[in-house]
Amino acid sequence: MAETVSALGVRRRASRSSPLRLDRQSVLGPVLVAPAILFIAVLVGYPFVLAIYLSVSDADVATSGLGRFVGLQNFVALFEADVFWTALRNTLLFTAVSWLFKGLLGTILAFLLNENLRFTRVFRFVILLPWTIPIALSSITWKWMFDTQYSIVNWIGRALGLIHENPNWLGEPTLAMISIIAVNVWRGFPFSAVILLAGMTSIPQEILDAAHVDGAGPVTRFRKVVVPMIAPILFVGTLYDLVFSLTDMTVVYLLTLGGPANTTHVLASFAYLVGIQSGALGRGAATALLLLPILAVVVFVTLRTLRRRDI
Amino acid sequence: MAAAAAYAAERRQSRRALRKKLLVYAGLCVYAVVAGLPVYWMFITAFKPNPDLYNLKAFPLFFNEHGVTLEHVALLFNKTGFTTWAGNTLIVAVAVVLITLLFAVPAGYALARLRFRGAESLTIGIFMTYLVPTTLLFLPLVKIISTIGLFDKLGSLIVAYPTFTIPFCTWLMAGFFKTVPFEIEEAAMVDGCSRLGAIARVVLPLSLTGMFTVAIFAFTLSMQDFIYALTFVTSSDQKVITVGVVTELIRGDVFFWGSLMAGALIAGVPVAILYTFFLDRFVAGITGGAVK
Repeated sequence: MAETVSALGVRRRASRSSPLRLDRQSVLGPVLVAPAILFIAVLVGYPFVLAIYLSVSDADVATSGLGRFVGLQNFVALFEADVFWTALRNTLLFTAVSWLFKGLLGTILAFLLNENLRFTRVFRFVILLPWTIPIALSSITWKWMFDTQYSIVNWIGRALGLIHENPNWLGEPTLAMISIIAVNVWRGFPFSAVILLAGMTSIPQEILDAAHVDGAGPVTRFRKVVVPMIAPILFVGTLYDLVFSLTDMTVVYLLTLGGPANTTHVLASFAYLVGIQSGALGRGAATALLLLPILAVVVFVTLRTLRRRDI
Repeated sequence: MAAAAAYAAERRQSRRALRKKLLVYAGLCVYAVVAGLPVYWMFITAFKPNPDLYNLKAFPLFFNEHGVTLEHVALLFNKTGFTTWAGNTLIVAVAVVLITLLFAVPAGYALARLRFRGAESLTIGIFMTYLVPTTLLFLPLVKIISTIGLFDKLGSLIVAYPTFTIPFCTWLMAGFFKTVPFEIEEAAMVDGCSRLGAIARVVLPLSLTGMFTVAIFAFTLSMQDFIYALTFVTSSDQKVITVGVVTELIRGDVFFWGSLMAGALIAGVPVAILYTFFLDRFVAGITGGAVK
């Protein structure tokens, strides 16, 4: 420490003779933030505005330029397409059901990991794999696990006596939707657990003990003490997870490509199909943009629910 | 008498504790099997010879009569662009990490340490940017990337990935800078260092762990992306590893499952290990400031 100070002391004169204007916080702050803000403005802000413009244009992938203004034509066409409504329904179903199961499985897991028994670290590594392996790689693995002939899922199901014939997981609309949701839950539950765990360990043990002394059972302690106290952390975690579920196309794209017969599309995969594979960039942008009101509602509801708990 | 009762009570209690312990382990085992099965299945598939792999009578969960093979791995390395994709991934990763550090470290410092107008709303704004979904941006980004001549080139990803790594890592870095004691910096300034001097000599060296974590995250977040890599790049020799593995090992409707799983294993497991090591920081990052 003393050395640092004396080493810095040598510099004293040099800096005094040239008082830098940059040293003022009101100048240095904006200067340091500016590059990041500029980057975000150009590559997030501008595309965002462009998305809105594209949604009312007939732009396509092949030709350069931004296409002609076509008013609300893209939206009208979407509302008239059955696949759009299927995709919308699937998006909501997919998000709601997987949110429910992720929350349930994640909560139980958080309690198990919180016991901090021996080997917890080993368990943690294995149990976190669904979240840490890149989603594209695990999705393609699940496609192989749901194979029509060599499905390991079916083999295990038969070995355990749970099923007696081979369900065609990805070839039948309802089963395909169940598979897609299952993979999303599989991928997301470790994250829910980790978020919850981070919150739980931040609560002082004395508070829980006090509640215990006051006669609160484990469930009451969790609902009335733990949840309100970690509401902010839950809010951010839930939000992050919901945004991910609402806008993810990887699982659908790799498992079913929206099939069979376009029954398993979600808005994100449908936007990709329309915008890139069919090349109708404008209409694709309109599809993706329709996620915004849903996102807004989700953010609003999550915020309100957790606020109300936070008395 | 009393001692015997106390002893019995103690034994009952320890038996209950043991039962609870066993229950917790059983629960963890169930979770581990469900979570780990796909990765185990990657491993088995990657090293099992085709005659066993596609034999409905063979026991699928382990190796069978033909033993273990490296032919899938060999095919992956010799007959596909796997090494090219791995190289591409490395180039993208290094470039994205450097760009992210260059932008996020100064921004993070300013937001954590300096008082200036709008600092607080900028902090929230940057976090919200991280929540802007890629699904919303990938179509307009196609236009932008074509305009600047990067479509179907690795460069497109080097430009696109910082859109989510910079906001996240700025947020992370801000958290780190808050943990560097203010007094150290002040002491340096009292001793005549300019603020920039104090940053360079005192604050940055103390934040090296933070920067290292940010670098790891810029890398793992880039590896998690699929939609940009799928959309912006179509030529085989420009693909990154994730997209290469899941698109190029399927010819028509024939899936080369052995090589596919070998590729997924080789690309996925290192990322998983890195990610797990830094997961606590990741959680601290996205929940940053939510809990004090």
